[in-house]
Amino acid sequence: MEKYGLYLGCNIPFKAPDIEQSFRKVFPALGVEVTDLPGAGCCPAWGTAPSFDLTTWCSVSGRNITIAEELCVPIMTGCNSCFGVLSEAKHFIEADPSRKKIVNEKLALINREFKGTSDIYHISHVLHEKVGLEKIKESLTYTLEGLKIAVQPGCHILWPSDVYHVKEKNSFFPTQLKELVEALGASAPHYSRLEACCGMGGMRSTDVEKSLELFKTKLLSIKEEVDPDCIATTCSSCFLQFDMSQKTLKERGEIDFEIPVFYYTQLLALTMGFDPAQVAAISVTPRDALIAEIQSETRKIKEKEHT
Amino acid sequence: MAKVGVYVCHCGSNIAGVIDVEAVRASAETLPDVAVARKDLFMCSDSGQEMIKQDIRDGLVDKVVVAACTPRTHEPIFRGALQAGGLNKYLFEMANIRDQDSWVHAQDPEGATQKAKMLVASAVGKAARLHPLEDKYVDVTKAALVIGGGVAGIFSALELAKMGFKTYLVEKEPSIGGVMAMLDKTFPTNDCSACILTPVMVEAGNHPNIELLTYSEVEDVEGYIGNFNVKVRRKQAYVDWTKCTGCGACAEKCPSKTPDEFNMGLSNRKAAYIHFPQAVPKKAVVDMAHCKSCGGRELGTEPKISEKTGKPILAPCEKACPADAIDRSLKWDPAGVIKEIKVGTIVVATGFQVMDKGWFKEMAPDNKNVITALQMERLISATGPTGGKLLRPSDNQKPHTLTFVSCVGSRDEKHHTYCSRVCCMYMIKQARLIKEKYPDLNIYMHFIDVRSPGKDYDEYYTGARRMGINILRGKVGGLEVLPGDNLRVLAYDLDAGAPVEYESDLVVLATAMELPPTAKKLAQTLGLQFCGSNFFKELHPKLGPVETATEGIFLAGCCQGPKDIPDTVSQAKGAAAAAAVPLCQGRVKIEPIISEVQTEKCSGCGICVPLCPYDAISLKPYAEKPRAIIDITQCKGCGVCTAACPSAAIVLHGYEEDQIFAQIAALTA
Amino acid sequence: MPAIVLDSEKIKDSVKRIMEYGGTGVLKCVQCGACSAVCPGVKAGFPVLCRLLIKKLLEGQFEELVEETSTWGCQACNRCTEVCPQGVRPQEVVFAYRRYQASELAFSSSATTSQMNLFATGHAVFTEAGPLREKVGLPAKAPTSAYDDKAQKEIQTLLTESPMGELGLF
Repeated sequence: MEKYGLYLGCNIPFKAPDIEQSFRKVFPALGVEVTDLPGAGCCPAWGTAPSFDLTTWCSVSGRNITIAEELCVPIMTGCNSCFGVLSEAKHFIEADPSRKKIVNEKLALINREFKGTSDIYHISHVLHEKVGLEKIKESLTYTLEGLKIAVQPGCHILWPSDVYHVKEKNSFFPTQLKELVEALGASAPHYSRLEACCGMGGMRSTDVEKSLELFKTKLLSIKEEVDPDCIATTCSSCFLQFDMSQKTLKERGEIDFEIPVFYYTQLLALTMGFDPAQVAAISVTPRDALIAEIQSETRKIKEKEHT
Repeated sequence: MAKVGVYVCHCGSNIAGVIDVEAVRASAETLPDVAVARKDLFMCSDSGQEMIKQDIRDGLVDKVVVAACTPRTHEPIFRGALQAGGLNKYLFEMANIRDQDSWVHAQDPEGATQKAKMLVASAVGKAARLHPLEDKYVDVTKAALVIGGGVAGIFSALELAKMGFKTYLVEKEPSIGGVMAMLDKTFPTNDCSACILTPVMVEAGNHPNIELLTYSEVEDVEGYIGNFNVKVRRKQAYVDWTKCTGCGACAEKCPSKTPDEFNMGLSNRKAAYIHFPQAVPKKAVVDMAHCKSCGGRELGTEPKISEKTGKPILAPCEKACPADAIDRSLKWDPAGVIKEIKVGTIVVATGFQVMDKGWFKEMAPDNKNVITALQMERLISATGPTGGKLLRPSDNQKPHTLTFVSCVGSRDEKHHTYCSRVCCMYMIKQARLIKEKYPDLNIYMHFIDVRSPGKDYDEYYTGARRMGINILRGKVGGLEVLPGDNLRVLAYDLDAGAPVEYESDLVVLATAMELPPTAKKLAQTLGLQFCGSNFFKELHPKLGPVETATEGIFLAGCCQGPKDIPDTVSQAKGAAAAAAVPLCQGRVKIEPIISEVQTEKCSGCGICVPLCPYDAISLKPYAEKPRAIIDITQCKGCGVCTAACPSAAIVLHGYEEDQIFAQIAALTA
Repeated sequence: MPAIVLDSEKIKDSVKRIMEYGGTGVLKCVQCGACSAVCPGVKAGFPVLCRLLIKKLLEGQFEELVEETSTWGCQACNRCTEVCPQGVRPQEVVFAYRRYQASELAFSSSATTSQMNLFATGHAVFTEAGPLREKVGLPAKAPTSAYDDKAQKEIQTLLTESPMGELGLF
């Protein structure tokens, strides 16, 4: 079984642990062993060390990476921001030998050394490239056939593409998440603002109104062009924005609908038959009805004939 | 005893600004074999040269050393001075104390002066031992080859032909015309492109001195200036062109379809086809790669006889042809036919291609309503896929909003860093033509800058603004795909300092001009070099725009770099003039600074033969033994054979052993 | 807008300083605007990001921009980097400028909280999530630095031995 170090970040373990649980359930069932990275901290977030000092950023990220290096596992992360921060830090360290030297001098203060032996993946890369769509299809108990899902890959998983290990064929028209959703049986139609930013992250903490304006444009594109049954994302930040901000906009009378939001592995876990109370329990935008629909008898896939 | 004259040049302040010229001159006087040592402000000036000539006439010197700039530019001048003074011009040696001394050691005047003294001593050591040499001459074949039948090739060929030289015009497509034949109208005159091109095409096709070799490619070139042996492969057309009348009946009946390259893939052509309606020559070709071999009948087999009629069952193309030009029972050779021609000079005018939109991921390249400018040119052409009506590819509907995007792949370090030079103007052209025809159409053009040099060009641009065409400065960042295959343009208005978004029905990308992948093979065949932008490299960017590093091979048109039609025609005529020079002179000079085998010393071991990079050496029998002999027309004087010969049988004239040892001795003294 | 006085010493200094902080591509910018065409921050209405930020830096406005909040709206999404035809990597210029602003403590109070959280727990964002985690069947304590003294000490060492430590936030 391939083993990956699960890098949790901040939001997933503390705000959305059901997403964490969905990782811990689906991966072993798909043949990927998940191991913890004990003592891993913040990646560190864009608004912290990266905005203060490049070497400090590389040291703190480097520390997280060394935890995986010591366990001889590659890293997979569920948060797009973490993926971006760690990948770029690794690139900065490796591209400049003098920087690598300085970073390792800092890490030596805490008895660590960055070697560069652990690659950094996003969980959707592991699912798409290592597990594969066929294996996912074979592991389902329920099908999402007939459901329309709007996908939100997010930003940091796509750019800057030159620094990332796994790339989309065309990062402006990404297909990985679309294919992952289609593997569950649902359709994932295109909408014009698919690759647009949801407005979470640094923008939201700097100016909530601007963030909501950007988010609304995205949401309306989804509603008008797809009118989906739910939204699926592979970014924990996007998940929070989509989940929280629809309520805000609705209360202000700016929208008159709410679309349930899932992190992709939550949908995957549900279709694999896992308990929603563990894998899809925390949300502001109500989704119980859809969850019940997903795990209903009519959606059960018939037992395969044994040859 | 040699009488060497040493002349040290100040070169203005280029040399004198760093080096103590008087010290160098004085040091030269003390060297063995030196008869006189003089200095001058500019040795290459008339007075400088006169100094040398006078010393020769006075009998003071019989070898000359000039310590100055680079032989690359000035060796011919000084050799000429020696000759004018009455001395053999090869009794001359130049010491480069500028490029190799004052220019690179500007921070160390003392060291530079010391180095200059050593360089002069080395030159004197060699000069004292130089032998007189004689130029040799070889006759020239008075014919020319032009490769490429676009507007550049056509004009080059016509100039050469009018001068009286037999000219072969080789073109890989079935017809000449190139990209210009695909254009609708040309800026800034808005002339119909085909209307101004076809008369010249016909003239070229009919000219008694021009032999058109279309549907052909240059396979191999051997030889040297004045004497090139070229193999041209005439591809297999599967149609007898001596009978074909170009009626097009075969194309009409052919059932097989494939994207039409002339229409940039916007429509289909048949496997049997004529390149375009005004083709010269107007002959059909069967593209065997897409031929369906109707009725399962293999090429080269007899047709079955119909039981009903008793007549043979012919393929639709065979049946349709009124001139019996298509006979599929013949054993056509798929490799075509090789024609060998002898020419004195070659002009390369192979043109360009535009980048495919697939390279530009953020521009929704898979969307049918995102097209390149050359595709747009076909859309608005009367001979194009929509008969000249502006209809968008996805649904054949008239667009309401049209977008032009500049600098797609040009000025971009991810693709090509250069500016493709013609796009601003042709975008404005297309916008103006379309706005004139469809005044209600909304047109938005996005530029980084607007580049409109050239006669009447800027007026053409300002005229576009007056027509109500919207021009925004700011590069388009990307396109989003809306339902119905419309596009949302993500742009930026630099002048207003704000991002811009709007819906467009049809987006035209001005993709960069570049050379096709076949250019590499042609370069290898001809010995052409590529410049940093991957176009064919000219000899000198300022003063040698039509020549190449290979004597006798010239460049014309966009294969040398992006340019518009006026510049292409100028360059084509210039290349023809330059190409005609050796043909007019009738003979080509072979410099004597080449290697020669002293046959009596040669052991016939043959080591030199494979070492020669120019394949100049062969073994020929001499007194019943094989001996090496060097072809003077191929030898470039590189010296590899000279150094390798174990019998020291080869002499490199102008770089003989005793001369080189004297240089080493002087430098290590 | 009053006229900008172009001072070549100021410009040289501005360029030098932004490059030192990590914005090494500034001199490559030709002001084409492609970055701004795709930047979500520009779209959201933040006035001084990517192209315009570079423009002002190239005109010597290094210190004048210190209170500009637009830079903190940058998502680091790197769309700008992806479309830039000159290899400027505008996101790195924005973050380089942020590093200068941070050294002058020119950031919002919510940002201060994040730095203090990072120091205290190793997480920029931290809430006590024990019951929530147990509700979904996970151990109350996540296996991160939040509950790991040694890990926290390591992170604190890295932070104190850095320019961040000199700001007096911790």
